[in-house]
Amino acid sequence: MNSVSIKPVRRESLWSKAAYKFRRDRIGMASFVFVMLYMLVALGVTFEWWASDWSDVSGGKWEAASALHWFGTNLIGQDIFSRAIYSTKTAFEVGLVVAFIATGLGAVLGAISGFFSSSWIDEILLWVMGVLDSIPFYLFVGAIVFAMQDNPYAMHIAMISTFWTSAGRLVRGEVIKLRGLEYVEAAHAIGVPELTIIFRHILPNTTHILLVQATITFVAAIKSEVILSFLGLGVKDGMSWGLMIAESTQEVLAGFFNNFLAASLLMFGLVMAFNMFADALQDALDPRKVA
Amino acid sequence: MNARDHTALLEVRDLKKYFPVYGGIFQRTVAQVRAVDGVSFSINKGRTLGLVGESGCGKSTLGRAILRLHEPTSGQVLVDGQDILGLRRNQLVENRRRLQIIFQDPFASLSPRRTVAQIIREPLDVHRIGTSANRECRIIELLADVGMGAEVRDRYPHEFSGGQRQRIGIARALALDPDFIVADEPVSALDVSVQSQVLNLIAELKRKRGIAFLFISHDLAVIQHVSDEIGVMYLGRIVEQAAVNDLYARPRHPYTQVLMSAIPVPDPTTKRSRIILEGDVPSPMHPPNGCPFHTRCVQAMAVCKTTVPPIVNVGDAANPHRVSCHLYN
Amino acid sequence: MPLLSVRDLVIEFETENGVVRAVDTISFDVYEGDTIGLVGESGCGKTVTGLSILGLIPSPPGRIVSGSITIMGRELVGLNDSELREIRGRDISMIFQEPMTALNPVFTVGNQMTDVLMRHRGLTRRQARNAAIEMLAKVGLPVPAKRIDEYPHQLSGGMRQRVMIAMALSCGPKLLIADEPTTALDVTTQAQVLEQISKLQAEFQMAVVLITHDLGIVAETCRRAIVMYCGHIVENAAIEPLFANPRHPYTKGLLDSIPRIRSEKLEELPIIPGRVPDLLHLPAGCRFADRCVQADTQCREQSPLLTSSGTSGDLIACHHPYAPIHTGQIS
Repeated sequence: MNSVSIKPVRRESLWSKAAYKFRRDRIGMASFVFVMLYMLVALGVTFEWWASDWSDVSGGKWEAASALHWFGTNLIGQDIFSRAIYSTKTAFEVGLVVAFIATGLGAVLGAISGFFSSSWIDEILLWVMGVLDSIPFYLFVGAIVFAMQDNPYAMHIAMISTFWTSAGRLVRGEVIKLRGLEYVEAAHAIGVPELTIIFRHILPNTTHILLVQATITFVAAIKSEVILSFLGLGVKDGMSWGLMIAESTQEVLAGFFNNFLAASLLMFGLVMAFNMFADALQDALDPRKVA
Repeated sequence: MNARDHTALLEVRDLKKYFPVYGGIFQRTVAQVRAVDGVSFSINKGRTLGLVGESGCGKSTLGRAILRLHEPTSGQVLVDGQDILGLRRNQLVENRRRLQIIFQDPFASLSPRRTVAQIIREPLDVHRIGTSANRECRIIELLADVGMGAEVRDRYPHEFSGGQRQRIGIARALALDPDFIVADEPVSALDVSVQSQVLNLIAELKRKRGIAFLFISHDLAVIQHVSDEIGVMYLGRIVEQAAVNDLYARPRHPYTQVLMSAIPVPDPTTKRSRIILEGDVPSPMHPPNGCPFHTRCVQAMAVCKTTVPPIVNVGDAANPHRVSCHLYN
Repeated sequence: MPLLSVRDLVIEFETENGVVRAVDTISFDVYEGDTIGLVGESGCGKTVTGLSILGLIPSPPGRIVSGSITIMGRELVGLNDSELREIRGRDISMIFQEPMTALNPVFTVGNQMTDVLMRHRGLTRRQARNAAIEMLAKVGLPVPAKRIDEYPHQLSGGMRQRVMIAMALSCGPKLLIADEPTTALDVTTQAQVLEQISKLQAEFQMAVVLITHDLGIVAETCRRAIVMYCGHIVENAAIEPLFANPRHPYTKGLLDSIPRIRSEKLEELPIIPGRVPDLLHLPAGCRFADRCVQADTQCREQSPLLTSSGTSGDLIACHHPYAPIHTGQIS
């Protein structure tokens, strides 16, 4: 009988190699730590460990930075620093919900589109993606928010409904490529139903792409929220950096910059760190650098 | 046709597979790639037909078309007398149990995110064979059949070498206890010292389980060991078909003769006069009129340019040796 | 004096799991007009050796750790890029396995060839174009004056390989390194290309180092074969003795196990049991020991050195080589 000695050749997969490479990327690790710090802050707000007093009036109008109010107070006398910290929670909430759902939706629709490419399903989905991409983003979002006026998730829904197309196209392209691979043919030959093939064999092999896309969407969501809140179409209850910046437009004219600075700096910090994290993640997952 | 074809496990009749080429603004079909252009043969239970040819001859497409991984354009594929091309998708699933496939590329033929156990178990799950406990035993049995121990079941494909992955692929193909397996260049991507190991395994499985094979390869040396009969393909057609010893002893078709002479023999003392072909293979989009080989054939005659040569049996009824060539017409 | 001389060459690659020695102290000579086959399976180091002669090892992650490579007496190891560029194409040329990736798809064939000619032979564009057309005709490309303005994707695999050969030979190098030049081609095309290389070799009086895993090609085209396994040279012999009477168990195992057309069908094909060891976890002694039918304790503890096997010029690295059938005369 033909017997072979079974010693594992190598115990590495895409993920373990990626983890190894990522750990050696200093900038990537630093940005990851930074993002985790922000996440910790957001968590703390959710559990009310801090910044639960963000709407309390605790000082006079436009006080300068002091030991009590690290960034001073705003027009009404609320502590700017607390408000900025509270906004971190909002940012993460918006970012995570939108990133998760938009990427997930894009993955499923993109996979179906790619698997049945050149058929009517694909044509319809491509058409829908095309239409959504052609509408100017803020007009579209504004219209949805306006139409869903009282719904606190109007902004989230609006963002998800346009952001999913990027993930959709990426996954579609990848699926078209994977579809021709022999393990997919093998599944056909065994008689595995087509939808099962998509979800069991193909989609799991796109997760590295989806992860990177999710991080990009996260950042896009936060930035969009800032502008939408600034335009009054964003967050309604609660506080966000966008709302703070909106508030500060008048203040800046009067020479008071603290509000603006607090919100901008924190936002800049998160976006910058997350972007660098996303870059490092992409490099670590790059299959060409993985033998 | 084969005198015993009423017992043939698999019979292919005039199978064609054309791929449309789209062009123009409105994406209309401007041309057809004639990958398989009228192929007929039959394989009896437990026998192996080796299909040999160079790239672009259509052999891989033929293998997939028989399994309906590509839908044939026309023709018939009879399994125990029943034409499976007419079946609808859900009726086809039953036949999937009997016809399986092994692929060339050991790195692309196993799903990278699934363990060995999951890969081998999948056909059993889809066809609901036995109980869950039975299936686990079956996986161990199948691994043993291909010479691998039970300890590999929780590993992932990337942890194995090419030869080992091929064995896993073979175990998967055996899971449903098929009667017929299409082996598409199963050893071409392996190191030479491992090729014989896998060929021995396939020959042994064939003997022990009586599986019929369609063994596709570009390598006449590889195919000799496992085949009972050999078909030579060129530009979508079978140009010669004979029992394995007959073909190697007396190849009749000019293309087969070229193919045999072109193979480098690992023996420096044999001096052979090689027949060197001129030019390149014509495109399957515009195959030549008449005999597909006439553009490169040194013995081409006037009739070869206009008429497709009929298939003639230059052997006898017991040992047919079929050639499609005007030299024997 | 040999045309090319490799002495104690060591090449290492840095990988995520440690340093891999792809080539571990190999030495061999190539004389003018010789045809040498560098044979072995994947991972044996033959391609790396070929690349190192022209300084083409990607660095990082690879590097030549020690050893020397001399061409016509001139040391190649340690030369900088511009010095190497002078030698490439002019004295030593290389052709590769995948003609599609070796040719730039956005330039015409003519463009790529005239480039090389103008740089190395100092010809004008017109002169270079004519020389290129001549060269294409020499490699058997039909209608060269028309083909010269085509793009690589418009040519078939066999034609692209011929173009690559034409480019490689256009400046009349003394040494051609061919790395698996026909592996990606059909058998009939392979025959054409090998024939071409032979003809040109005779015309240009070139030495050829043919890197391949196909012992059939080696038997037909080479006069000497160097068999490599896991970064070592295990046998270096003239062609006929190597095939008639392989001394090293690996060579013998390889010759026995490669699929070939036999006059009688065998019940079971002979095999070499086991598989090639991982270069990161090499055994202490002879690297072939755990697959060798006659390995003993000495083999497992001590790695055999490449020494003369008795017959002129032939070398073997084995503690227990098979005995020579003929002593002296080998017909």
